[in-house]
Amino acid sequence: MANKENVIETKNLYFAYEGNKYILKNINLQIKRGEIIAILGENGAGKTTLIKHFNGLLKPSKGEVYILGKNTKESSVAELSRHVGIVFQNPDHQIFSETVEKEIEFAMRNFGFDKSYIKERVEWALRLMGLEKYRNRSPYTLSIGERKRLTLAAVLSYDPDILILDEPTAGQDFLQKERIAEMMNLLRHRQKTVIMVTHDIEFIVNRVERIIILAKGEILYDGDKREVLTNLQLLKKARLLPPQITQIAWLLQDNNIEVPTNILYIEELLNELLHLCKKVGLDESARRIQV
Amino acid sequence: MSLLEGFKFRSKDTRIHKLDPRTKFIVVLVYTVLSLIFFEVIPLLIIFVSTIFLLYLAKSLGEWKKTMKGMIYFLIIIFILNFISIPENKFDYSLAMVLRFSVLTSIFSFFFLTTTPDELALAIEASGIPRDYSLMFTMSLRFVPTLAKDLQTIIDALRSRGLELEKGGIIKRVKNYTYVLIPLIVYEIRRSLMIAEALEARGYGAASKITPYYQLRMKRIDYFVSIGVLIVGLIVVLLKVKGLLPSLFYTRLFSI
Amino acid sequence: MENIVELENVYFRYSGSDEYALENITFKARRGEYILITGPSGCGKSTLTRVLNGLIPNFYEGELKGKIKVAGLDVRETPAYIMAKHVGTVFQDPENQLFLSTVEREIAFGLENLGFPRGEMRKKVENILKMFGLQELRNRAPFELSGGQQQKVAIASIIALQPEILILDEPTANLDPLSAEEVLSLVDKLVKELSMLAIVIEHRLEIALKYSTRMIIMDKGKIIADGNPREVILKDEAKRVGIPKVVEVYRRLSLEGVRLRSVPLSPSEFVTFFLEEVMSNGK
Repeated sequence: MANKENVIETKNLYFAYEGNKYILKNINLQIKRGEIIAILGENGAGKTTLIKHFNGLLKPSKGEVYILGKNTKESSVAELSRHVGIVFQNPDHQIFSETVEKEIEFAMRNFGFDKSYIKERVEWALRLMGLEKYRNRSPYTLSIGERKRLTLAAVLSYDPDILILDEPTAGQDFLQKERIAEMMNLLRHRQKTVIMVTHDIEFIVNRVERIIILAKGEILYDGDKREVLTNLQLLKKARLLPPQITQIAWLLQDNNIEVPTNILYIEELLNELLHLCKKVGLDESARRIQV
Repeated sequence: MSLLEGFKFRSKDTRIHKLDPRTKFIVVLVYTVLSLIFFEVIPLLIIFVSTIFLLYLAKSLGEWKKTMKGMIYFLIIIFILNFISIPENKFDYSLAMVLRFSVLTSIFSFFFLTTTPDELALAIEASGIPRDYSLMFTMSLRFVPTLAKDLQTIIDALRSRGLELEKGGIIKRVKNYTYVLIPLIVYEIRRSLMIAEALEARGYGAASKITPYYQLRMKRIDYFVSIGVLIVGLIVVLLKVKGLLPSLFYTRLFSI
Repeated sequence: MENIVELENVYFRYSGSDEYALENITFKARRGEYILITGPSGCGKSTLTRVLNGLIPNFYEGELKGKIKVAGLDVRETPAYIMAKHVGTVFQDPENQLFLSTVEREIAFGLENLGFPRGEMRKKVENILKMFGLQELRNRAPFELSGGQQQKVAIASIIALQPEILILDEPTANLDPLSAEEVLSLVDKLVKELSMLAIVIEHRLEIALKYSTRMIIMDKGKIIADGNPREVILKDEAKRVGIPKVVEVYRRLSLEGVRLRSVPLSPSEFVTFFLEEVMSNGK
């Protein structure tokens, strides 16, 4: 049975499309309400396969998956989607309606919501993603960035408890990423559980608390982000690079400079660097004297 | 879909696999003509047995058997339909039609089991068909798995938004599946535009005379086999047309 | 060295559109440059490269004005497949630019298109396979390869045609960070060894900046910054494309009175410059 505290729980999850070629091996996860998690790993490690188990698109070959206490083998994808919204990477795989409004309504109509409630939620979603002026336009007249926002709006509109984003920042420019970050803040405020599958280390540095690394279908690490992102060997196994700030700390270490290597944020690095500078007299006053 | 097993290329070390695809195509052509000019059981049986022999030479009987097994229901239907629709000589004729269908299936199976799609494309090009068409053929094959993946992704995405494809009555489910069509069509049209762009950027169309990188070469055995088969085929057709075939061939086997 | 690309006062509008996708573009470049073009979505980056490789006006219709000379040719008078001899383009999605059943065929394809004789094609294909380390993959199907390998094959297939100019339009969008590094560093190698002009459209500045010799920022169809990456990244205009953390640290140190010798474009450059400062002023 599943622990009621967990919104997502997997027990000894194994998955293979055919026979014994397991793509996922022995996955044991407990995810609580309100957690913001990133799933990292190289292409082919099994990330997308794993998240497809969270709304029942795939059912385990061995083991169980429980979503909000329900065993996924006993529910249909449509039923589970009511609570778990997955936004896939490519918006063009999902869009088909005549207007932006109709696109956003689609899921709610499938779930059988009340007409007036649907209208309310569509308004809310349009406003949230800044798409009001496009409401009656064909989705195909929107730019790629706007179509991505549309798929987000379509899933957010029905207010699922759990939100899963597959590579939300891939191919996005700086401003678009900022928008996505704002949206994640909003979700955090509303205590939604958010899971991001991503390569974008810089993006997640100060936006998630927990990181799960998948390698060759198994969980390589599941825990605190600081421990993960500053562990070079671990990241190398997953074919990832640490954040730039961390790279600087490690390079300084390599050059025999005493700097802690578990630094993630720019403020932490600056503190250390300025400290060093003071030690060798390289601060403001020294500069002025030299000039 | 084990029915398709007999039509997918498998790499094996046989004389047949090494033959030029054009030679094999001539064999297919001759067999097709022969199977169409006969309406009697005995000649078709002889032709059928010889196709099995060809498949034996190609060490491909296993895959062929899977396809024939998958065809059983189809063959039964052919038999029954013919049985009830012709006025006399029912059993013989229906059996003959089943045999004809089996010959056609088997000889095409023989061809596809021993010829790679690339060889086929080269054969098409070598036969003088413009490059545009042979390229269309090659690229269609290459993109089939891609299309299959796209279809699955779109189905996954729509199911994730509550589109019910698992439960419900058959009419509702069919209607729901149609939602998949629009994103699929739009997506693939977009994809083909991107492919067209990439083709332009790769210089497609620059030279009016193309030398293909790979070249098909007919060896002595290819000429031997193709000319041999053509001659035999011609002789049989002539004999049949002139009514010179032994009456044994026309023996009626069943009285129904 | 003279310019291989000369655009002066170029304007372009896609047919059916009221707005200019390119407005008063003046852009000159020569071989040996690694130019990074960045800017918000829709700013005209891809449109600019289409004017260079001839997809505009041969593939995309519209109103094109201004002086255009690319490898001595005017795209308005030259079909795209002739431009392909001089300007190779690698697109974002490898899936749509690998058409054939094996890597070797793919590399030969462009050569076939340009009408080379068989002997020459074989030689060139062997050279390319060696240059890119693809010999062991020669008979593999492209869809069996990883994203990074696919992009490598796409680039190899283009380089086989020996263009002077190589355009890459967001080549790393679908790649993991290590594969992205490999691809962009491969381009750097090509620029240096073959003296090519590389024009790379990228959003991932943390990876692309360190290889570039020149940086261009575009917005709303105009070029709003063009020059030494170390200068451009400090401008106000760079704020809308995102400043890599490494540059941000440089900036903050400057505010505290610690000025490094130059703007670092990568963590290792940062550490080098920083240590120099510390050493030269140390006790």
